[in-house]
Parts: sequence; C-alpha cells; structure tokens
Amino acid sequence: MNAHNDFASVLAPIAEARGLSNEHYTSPAFFEAEKRAVFFDNWSGIGFGKDVPEPGDVKPIDFLGLPLLLARDQDGELHVYQNTCRHRGMILVEEPTNIRGVIRCPYHSWCYSLKGDLKTTPHVGGPGQNVHESVDRSELGLIEIRSHVWHDVIFVNVSANRPELEIDNAKLVERWQEFQKPVFHGGPDSSFTLDVKTNWKLAVENYCESYHLPWVHPGLNSYSRLEDHYHIEEDGQFSGQGTLVYRQLKGEEGEIFPDFKDLSEHWDEGAEYIAVYPNVLMGVHRDHMFSIVIQPKDAETSVEHVEIYYPEPIANDAAFNSLRQKNAAQWKGVFVEDVFVVEGMQRGRHGRLFDGGKFSPVMDNPTHMFHQWVARQLCRRP
Amino acid sequence: MTRTKSALDKALVDAHNAGNKAEIARLYEEAGNVFEADGDVDGAAFYLTHAYVFALEIGSSRADQLQERLHRLGREVPPSKEL
Repeated sequence: MNAHNDFASVLAPIAEARGLSNEHYTSPAFFEAEKRAVFFDNWSGIGFGKDVPEPGDVKPIDFLGLPLLLARDQDGELHVYQNTCRHRGMILVEEPTNIRGVIRCPYHSWCYSLKGDLKTTPHVGGPGQNVHESVDRSELGLIEIRSHVWHDVIFVNVSANRPELEIDNAKLVERWQEFQKPVFHGGPDSSFTLDVKTNWKLAVENYCESYHLPWVHPGLNSYSRLEDHYHIEEDGQFSGQGTLVYRQLKGEEGEIFPDFKDLSEHWDEGAEYIAVYPNVLMGVHRDHMFSIVIQPKDAETSVEHVEIYYPEPIANDAAFNSLRQKNAAQWKGVFVEDVFVVEGMQRGRHGRLFDGGKFSPVMDNPTHMFHQWVARQLCRRP
Repeated sequence: MTRTKSALDKALVDAHNAGNKAEIARLYEEAGNVFEADGDVDGAAFYLTHAYVFALEIGSSRADQLQERLHRLGREVPPSKEL
C-alpha cells in the first residue's frame, strides 16, 4: 500500500484539506493495512460485557480475522483471549456457551481455566502420561489480549502498545465524568444490529457531524435545530457533536426514565454524541446512554451493533416496557435513516474522479479531525 | 458390581453419543479402576486421564481426586502445583 501521497492534503488545515481518497474506502489492500495501524494499535471496540453476563459465559468473536474469545471467569472478571489452542492452533470455542469447568480443546483435550491457565495436557508425554519436561504449562496459558471495559463496551488494544484506556482517553473520561457510574443494559428490546454496505469510516464520519441532521433527520427540526448543536473536538482522541435541547422521552401517561444521579444542570437538556476512535460511537443523555460498536467486515461492508443502557436496572421492569421499546424504536429509526447516506457515500467513492471531498471549514471539523487521525495512524505504521 | 471391559466400552460409546460428560467421566474412572485392579498401571492412567479431563470440563468435584490419583501414579502434577 502506498497511500502517503494523499496524506498531505488530508493533514492540511481544513480550509485547504481534502478527505481521504477513494482507496481508503474501497481497496482490500488499504483495509488490510488499517487492521494493524488503526485497529490493533489502538483501543478498538469489539463487543459488550452484557454479551457474557454470567460467570462461565464465553463467546467467540471474529475481530478483523483475529479469532477472539470473550470469557467471564468464576470471579466475574472479563477476559479476552485469542481463541486458539497453544498446542496445534485449533479453535477452542465455536459457539457462545456457559462453561462450568475448563475450556477443553476439542482436538487433543488440552484444558484451560477461564483465567487462561493451562490445567492439563493429556497424554503429552505418551499414553496416560500428562506431563513432559519440555512442556512448561506456566508458559502455555491462553494468550490474553489487552482489554478494558468502559460503560460496558469491551475495548482491546491487540498490539498492547497504548497507555491504559482511561489514560489514553483521559479527556473523554473527564468530559463524561458525571456519567462514570454503573449502567444497566435495557435487555433484548434495547439491542439491535444494522448490516450496512459501507466502509466503517463512513459510519463514524456521519455520526460525528451535525451538518446532515436537518436534511437526513427532518423529524428533529421541530425541536432540535442545527444551531442547537455544537462540535466536540479533541485532536487525536475523539470528535463528535452535542445538543443543547435534548428532550426526555415520555410515555402516554407522562412516565419518564430515571436519571443518572447527581448530574449537573448542563445535562438537563444537554446530550453528546462522540466517536471514540476508531470504531465506537457513544451517546449520553440524562436518562440513558447508548454505544455502537462498528464491526468492519471488509472494505465495503460493516455491521453496527447498537446497545442501549439505563442508569437503573429496568430491563425486566414491566412499568418501563413500553417506554424502553419506544426509545429503542426511536433510535433505530434515526440510525436507519442514516443507512442510505453511508451506503450512498460508499457507492460514490467508486467515482474515480472524486478527490476525497471538500470540507466545510465550519461544519465538517469533527469529520476532518477523524480523517487526520486515520492518516496519522497510517503514516506511523506504513 | 464391576462391568466387563466390553460392557464398559459399549456404555462409553453410548455416553459419548449422548454427550453426557458426567457419565463419560464416571465410566472412564470405572475403566481406570478395572485396569488398575488388573495391575495394568499404564492402562489405568490412560483411562483415569480421560476421567480427569471430562471431570475438569464439567467442573466436577471428582477432578481434584482424579488429579491426586494420577499424580500418585507419576502422570500429573500435584494439585498443589497446578496453575
């Protein structure tokens, strides 16, 4: 891959800049280069703690071709392992399940505890002989991928090269300090996925700018005008948008969700939507938050995993069933409205004469910041 | 009552086909006992190893005893040295 020729224009000040070139959205070779430089070398979202809620729960996932295993041990601690046996490289777990004892490789039955320790190596020294001087179990545990859970999103730093997540993203943690509290998933009706025919970056770019709102989400115009929004920009870390006119959802009898406790006045009508680079989109409101993990499938297809959380455990509270479902339906409606845009931009990037695009120096700043961040990752590791 | 080896073989095949791991572990342990009674230490260790693996997999409390037994036969690390 040699994409460096166009990085100068991406890294230029916004008024002179152009966006990332078509190949960054359409080329399998560019996509391959992003895996390491953009995803493995940073804190990337791969799933949610609620996917393995109980001790013993395991769930295999594919992260850009890397076979991973989410595992919650008997002490409730979450681990992310490479889902590969240390013996012959067999995939260890094929389906989500609950493990009462150990993870047993289905090939030669090497067994690992949920904390990753290699517990036994049957017949490794011959039939009925389970030890051998050359097989040091202490060196052959499951390979653990560096992970951190923040607001129930599981982030991994595969290359183990970044500072701790809450240091790496300190400014975001500080910005949303008032929301640094337990969150409770809303249950099955607060979870949905969208398969989109787009490069993952276009979903990020669309999310973090408000410029499109009056055109793509006209329903918002009645109360949330463009001028009620502001940019959020933290160079090298995140970008997004905020609103000053968030209105709480109300049920037919005026019922509302409980609020996060002890929020400042700003959040009475404030809400913020931030893209945590590279692939996690989060939104906070006084009474709920959501996270979207964008799973890149290939250069031109992605899956958006959307999960909605509340300040209190209301997933099984029948009094909130209707309101919870209404909230999920409202957000799904908004995100579905965005699909034609991200898919349209994807198809547009097959226009061979497109030059990456001219930014609005006033409205596209969060998007440009994201382009610059991607460009810097690729420059760092060509 | 101790089953014959061929009866154990059939019971093990049935348990494997049923995916009944607790029964698999129990039957392998029984097979280990049979071989040990015959003075066949290698055969006993082989089957006790299988019993141990399946007991570990299902989180059975028998796993500790089987590990100890295998250790006494020189076939497994002692429980105190496990990771």
